[in-house]
Amino acid sequence: MSNSARAALDAKVLAWMREPASIAWPQEEERFDRLARELFAFQFERCAPYGRFCARRGRTPATVQSWRDVPPVPSGAFKELALRSFAPEATVHVFRTSGTSATRRGQLYLDTLALYEASVLPSFVVHVLPELVRGSLFGQSASRPRLRVLAPAPLEAPDSSLSHMFGVLLRELASKGAIGPSGFDVAGGELRFEGWLSALEDAMAHDAPLVLCGTAFAFVHALDELARRGARLALPAGSRVMETGGFKGRARELSREALYALIEERLSIAPARVVNQYGMTELASQFHDSVLRFPGAPRRKLAPPWARVRLVDPATGDEALPGEVGVIVIHDLGNTGSVCAVETADLGRSIGDGFEVIGREPGAEARGCSLAADEMLTGLGPA
Amino acid sequence: MSTASAENVAAALTRVRHAGVALRARSRAQILDSLAQVLDRWRDPTSKARLSLDLALPEATGFSREVVRAGLAHALEGWTGDALRAVVQRELGKSAGVGEDECTFAGGFETTSVLLAGALPSPTLLAILAPLAVGSPVLVRTSSSDPVTARVVAASIAEVDPGLGACVEVVRFPAGDLAALDALLSADCVVASGSDATIGAIAARIRPGRRLVAYGHRASVAVVGPLALTPSALPETCQRLALDVALWDQLGCLSPLAVYTVAADRSAGGDLAAALASALAEAELRLPRGRIAISAGAAFARARAEAEVRAAAGRSVAVYGSPRDPWCVVSEDSPEPREAPLYRFVRIHPVADLAALSSELGPLAPSLAAVAVSGFGTDSRSAAQRLADLGASRVCAPGRMQAPPLGWHHDGQGILTPLCRFSDLELD
Repeated sequence: MSNSARAALDAKVLAWMREPASIAWPQEEERFDRLARELFAFQFERCAPYGRFCARRGRTPATVQSWRDVPPVPSGAFKELALRSFAPEATVHVFRTSGTSATRRGQLYLDTLALYEASVLPSFVVHVLPELVRGSLFGQSASRPRLRVLAPAPLEAPDSSLSHMFGVLLRELASKGAIGPSGFDVAGGELRFEGWLSALEDAMAHDAPLVLCGTAFAFVHALDELARRGARLALPAGSRVMETGGFKGRARELSREALYALIEERLSIAPARVVNQYGMTELASQFHDSVLRFPGAPRRKLAPPWARVRLVDPATGDEALPGEVGVIVIHDLGNTGSVCAVETADLGRSIGDGFEVIGREPGAEARGCSLAADEMLTGLGPA
Repeated sequence: MSTASAENVAAALTRVRHAGVALRARSRAQILDSLAQVLDRWRDPTSKARLSLDLALPEATGFSREVVRAGLAHALEGWTGDALRAVVQRELGKSAGVGEDECTFAGGFETTSVLLAGALPSPTLLAILAPLAVGSPVLVRTSSSDPVTARVVAASIAEVDPGLGACVEVVRFPAGDLAALDALLSADCVVASGSDATIGAIAARIRPGRRLVAYGHRASVAVVGPLALTPSALPETCQRLALDVALWDQLGCLSPLAVYTVAADRSAGGDLAAALASALAEAELRLPRGRIAISAGAAFARARAEAEVRAAAGRSVAVYGSPRDPWCVVSEDSPEPREAPLYRFVRIHPVADLAALSSELGPLAPSLAAVAVSGFGTDSRSAAQRLADLGASRVCAPGRMQAPPLGWHHDGQGILTPLCRFSDLELD
């Protein structure tokens, strides 16, 4: 397949991403299936390791009858090799997973940021700012919302896909005049608490709803500092939180419920207005909690129309029964330059039209006295 | 067995403390005779204890019935009454109370509590017998993954010797019940098994002056030299290794996580991997793998798929077994350690020579338990010495990893001496 085939694929996916998003946002199964199989055929040919991996499993463009047949690569494979469907010299950007010097970091090579960036805004708007889609007010306020980000800016963390995503959101929302004064509140690797607090107080003074975004552990730091000062903020009506990421390797861990309770206690934002975003460096698309898009309905994570989630029984490779726990496998048409099907290291469970993430439960060490795998590798230094 | 409250645990400790008075009044030889009988009964596959475990352990722990049967038969093979007496003699010598003129006296603590971990039954048996052998009554907290074995051990002791049976109490309480834990930790000697984090948490709660005997999580490997890699030797080498892997589904600290092939020819690893894969497939027929939690199954499948990707990327990595097989062998192209998903997932790593092996295993040394060694001919002793120098507490032949002698120096310690108070009597 030629570069023009790739360009044509990118154009089709981009066109889909740029169509007006809606609360209903139809999934368009037939369109997804057709594009997914086209993309698989392209990546089978152009990403040689992936092609051989699939062939070994008996999956080729001739045998794959549905997007569900497309073999996923484990996310750990991005730590092992450059999974790209383009020439190395065409690389324009590399996103890397977080990690320490003692661990390998996963890398997503990109020859264009167009799809990555195009996928960010509609998902965010539909799930975090659905008023923009509905054409309604943010709470009682006629003011534009302000977006504060508890994560480093892209210039400070150029290989962080999360920072890049927030940078795109601020840029795009500001260019559309959808948000008021907004910005990043982590710099030099530290939370700029005073700046964050004064931005919140200024928004309160102007009755401008706040959209507080950031990593879960950054929220914990900010909330701890508020608690230390005995501060409780009554943020303007319509304010909300979007948090993402976990606590692995952090000094303090909180359950999601405890985090949401703290957010409510210190920021007066109810759990029903807190959206968790599930994303990975290895993927172009993100998945968001449904609570603002479908208020009152059960919380579950929803995918944009150009992505799908399967829950797979690891013992058989078959799809888990509805409601049963399985490994989360994501098929993301936004990944045209790498591999579109990725098996995550997370377990999940389907809930209606969405899913929930259960996390990574300890397992193997529970029954034996053998040193757990992670523990064994921890002491071994840089890999 | 119902869940014990802190008060229940404290009461149980008081009961064994009282029972210990009578225990200490008995001669050690008499106690050893009873414990020897217990061991001899356990070695009989038709004994009540063994039949109880056959019935209850698979459901409780997830191991298949065949693995429970074969694993116990293997583990208890050399655990005779005479072996116990030999261990007592070796570790305590005259201080064991055999002679009249000893100048060192060894005695167990007034009470010993044991916190069990994991689901392997033979360590539970020994953990309960050892304090009794030195004259200390025992309070045992069962592990969450095996609520069965400790009770069966206690019952079999009581059956042989009711007085000795009164010196064993078994309790069960949730991991988060710190009051119950503190009651257990108020024993004079505490024996704990678990991860470094678990041991650290327990150590922090023990009052000064109490003895803590800790057994951490450990890892084992196998090392195969050129003589065991020849076409004629390979099948037997791999059958033995497959047994070491299959027993207890590779979850024990004596289960080999990886096999290092020491050979100038790097293709030797591939040959061994293929033969080991066949042997594991055969082992599955006799010793089927047990239950596997979905999270562990996911880790297993992911590690396998990641190896497939490395192979597809052109590295000299080969994966044996299909995604649906309950075992996997990966022939790696370097000695670099990788994640060990357990549940019969074996990596084969090439190393050029024994010096390189020492270097590769160095970082693992603090956690090294057993190493199976084969195929070094006249160099076997020097190979074993190198591994002992690294920190391995046991070097044995393939096929013997799951059958440690009763007196194996678990974690490099004696079985009995850590449980004793020694008094040197320097009288004229």
